[in-house]
Amino acid sequence: MTNVILSLLTVLMIFSAPVLAAQEQGERDGPLRIEITEGVIEPLPYAVPDLVAETELAVEHASNIARVIAADLSGTGLFREIPREAHISRVTSFASPVQFADWRAVNAQALITGGVSVDDSGNLVVRFRLFDVFAGQEMGQGLQLVGTTTSWRRIAHKMADQVYSRLTGEAPYFDSRVVFVSETGPKDARQKRIGVMDYDGAGVSYLTDASSIVLAPRFSPGGDRVLYTSYASGFPKIYVLDVASAARQELQTQAGTMSFAPRFAPDGRTIVYSLATGGNTDLYSLEIATGQSRRLTSAPSIETAPSFSPDGSQIVFESDRSGSPQLYIMPATGGEAQRISFGQGRYGTPVWSPRGDLIAFTKQSKGRFHIGVMRTNGQEERLLTASFLDEGPTWAPNGRVIMFTRETQGETGEASLYSVDITGRNLKKVPTQTGASDPSWSPLLN
Amino acid sequence: MNTGQLISGLAHVGLISVAIFGGAFRAEPLPFQVTEVTAISAEDYAALVAPPEPDALATIATPEAPDAGSADVPTPTQDAAPSSGQPALSDIAPPEEVTEPLIDPQPPQPPEDVAVLVPEAAPDPAPDSVPEPAPRVAPEPVAQPEPDVEIDDVDRQASEADATAETPAPDEPETAREAAASRIVTEAERAEAAAPSQSIRPKPRPAAQPEAEPEPQETQTAEASETSSETGSVDAALTEALGGATEPAAGQDSRAAQGPPLTAGEKDGLRVAVQECWNVGALSSDALSTTVVVAVSMQEDGRPVTNSIEMIDATGGTVASARQAFEAARRAIIRCGARGFDLPVEKYASWRDIEMTFNPERMRIK
Repeated sequence: MTNVILSLLTVLMIFSAPVLAAQEQGERDGPLRIEITEGVIEPLPYAVPDLVAETELAVEHASNIARVIAADLSGTGLFREIPREAHISRVTSFASPVQFADWRAVNAQALITGGVSVDDSGNLVVRFRLFDVFAGQEMGQGLQLVGTTTSWRRIAHKMADQVYSRLTGEAPYFDSRVVFVSETGPKDARQKRIGVMDYDGAGVSYLTDASSIVLAPRFSPGGDRVLYTSYASGFPKIYVLDVASAARQELQTQAGTMSFAPRFAPDGRTIVYSLATGGNTDLYSLEIATGQSRRLTSAPSIETAPSFSPDGSQIVFESDRSGSPQLYIMPATGGEAQRISFGQGRYGTPVWSPRGDLIAFTKQSKGRFHIGVMRTNGQEERLLTASFLDEGPTWAPNGRVIMFTRETQGETGEASLYSVDITGRNLKKVPTQTGASDPSWSPLLN
Repeated sequence: MNTGQLISGLAHVGLISVAIFGGAFRAEPLPFQVTEVTAISAEDYAALVAPPEPDALATIATPEAPDAGSADVPTPTQDAAPSSGQPALSDIAPPEEVTEPLIDPQPPQPPEDVAVLVPEAAPDPAPDSVPEPAPRVAPEPVAQPEPDVEIDDVDRQASEADATAETPAPDEPETAREAAASRIVTEAERAEAAAPSQSIRPKPRPAAQPEAEPEPQETQTAEASETSSETGSVDAALTEALGGATEPAAGQDSRAAQGPPLTAGEKDGLRVAVQECWNVGALSSDALSTTVVVAVSMQEDGRPVTNSIEMIDATGGTVASARQAFEAARRAIIRCGARGFDLPVEKYASWRDIEMTFNPERMRIK
């Protein structure tokens, strides 16, 4: 038996030698392998020198367009502009080769160059390129945009959109608009109008006058119409308004009832809204063309603030059926609702992300208001803001940024629009000429 | 043979088998974090947590009570985009040279025959008197102080003149990287300062013991000579060995196995150097779900060969997100490798080719 054991040991030694040798050789042969799991989170430095004015009429646009691009990119908080005073190289021709060493010296990791001209028909022609400075190569192909000279801001936004998408991989959102409620006057006699502006607060125009109180404007999926609630008749009623002509039409709901909190379905033909009758508030859907209405909920509680999922199959809404306002999801045709919010506090104004992955909401907890996001199953809740009063989130077209209303405390308190990245970073105020509330972000413009 | 010997023999065979082949089934070690702590004495701890002296308290003005309403009101300057707060590169002045003041060998003597006014004991304050709160902010805006060091991509000590050097090194100012975060804190997560306001200075680390490394050059040469002796041409072997040290592209497979491997500390140094430039702040959420493996060839001075950087694998995302993740990884390698990674040149054969796995799992939005 001893011989058997010794034989087994010998066999094991013989077979183990190549295995051990192979393991050691495997570690020594081939490339060195390391794993990087920790990085840094900081704005990516970029440079955007003034565009090259190729005609005399384009001189004034050369700098303006570059400034709008810089404001768009730096405004995301993801990028940091290298100031023009630090530039070593001067771009004098759109076709001239890039001196990458000069841009590396000022730590510009991305470089945007462009040229602008006005053609014989009076159109503005803008070309641009994007470079990865440290790799020393162009990112994607150059692009040319043509538009009227009055639309130079939109051209600049579109250029910034291209740069943003190529650098981050996210869908763009700069070339978009926001409809909101403009507020003027003291708190006890506030005048409200519906205004529409570029996402960055520029180009404001008003769609209604201040003769009656207006609430909750909501863009259509195409961005050409706006739903809103007006007290023009004494009762809250829902109107649909054409953005181009400012013509409005009242949507027929049950007589003697109050209808409010409307929102378009993704197909643009149906809306969902709240209707209060007999002391009870439920959700209804309405086909705009036919006026056919359908009741979606029938609970003795308040159901309001509905919002469709991007595919139109589900609706998230707010209900106090459990005793306090919470968030629920149900099929778009009505049916059993499933509660998704279980945290401490009161939840409201849910809005489904255009990506379909998150739901933004307002939360009131411990005397403070928050804007937060959660997964569609209610998990991974994250609060992004905290203040005296934050409410009414709306998503940017790419689902990366949220705009909302923040109201300050006191007699002189005023409502303003703020935006925040879904990471919770880059909280900033949106510049508006007046007080502003209840924003609704349009889809990306065509 | 009795049963006891049989059981003992089989147990030994099994134990030896596990010892030899166990490594083939070894799982990846669980990730863990190491936290450095400093042991303090009971006296130090008592001094740390002891309340300040009453005299010190008496000299501190009562701060103004915060306004509950204003505390909720954000100021636009707080929410301004980071770019506005960043110092412009052109505005960053080089650090001024600091001349050491001459130390007076004689300690300053107090002036003699100077009357010192001794205040009388202060009367007890009236019960209804309230000390005036000290202003919490300066009445006049104060200009931002100049940075102590020049902002750059890497941390670098100021160069000092070396009289013994054959070629004087160019003067390089001290540089430091701009502040960056590895964690996102939202407005809702900001809490009142709860950390202790004072603590004792941790003890310095003990001086690192230099590791006794083998002489790699001699080993390589000796092995190369043995190989050449088989061919019968010493000159050819020397030429081959010397050529192999200066031409990274030729015969790398055979020579890569000859260099001593990097130590764990040297690998960590390289990893830390790369991750300092791995900026994921501008990546999309899809790109933050993508792990890419990037291959890079290195020059002997520690700088990467830019054209050799390529993505050899990507998992967890789309083609577009893999491209974004790769571009961020490539920027990290090029930027922080521009001045050369701190790698031992005698082990060049072991780091001539590197595969870096960029795994952003810990950097995702949570």
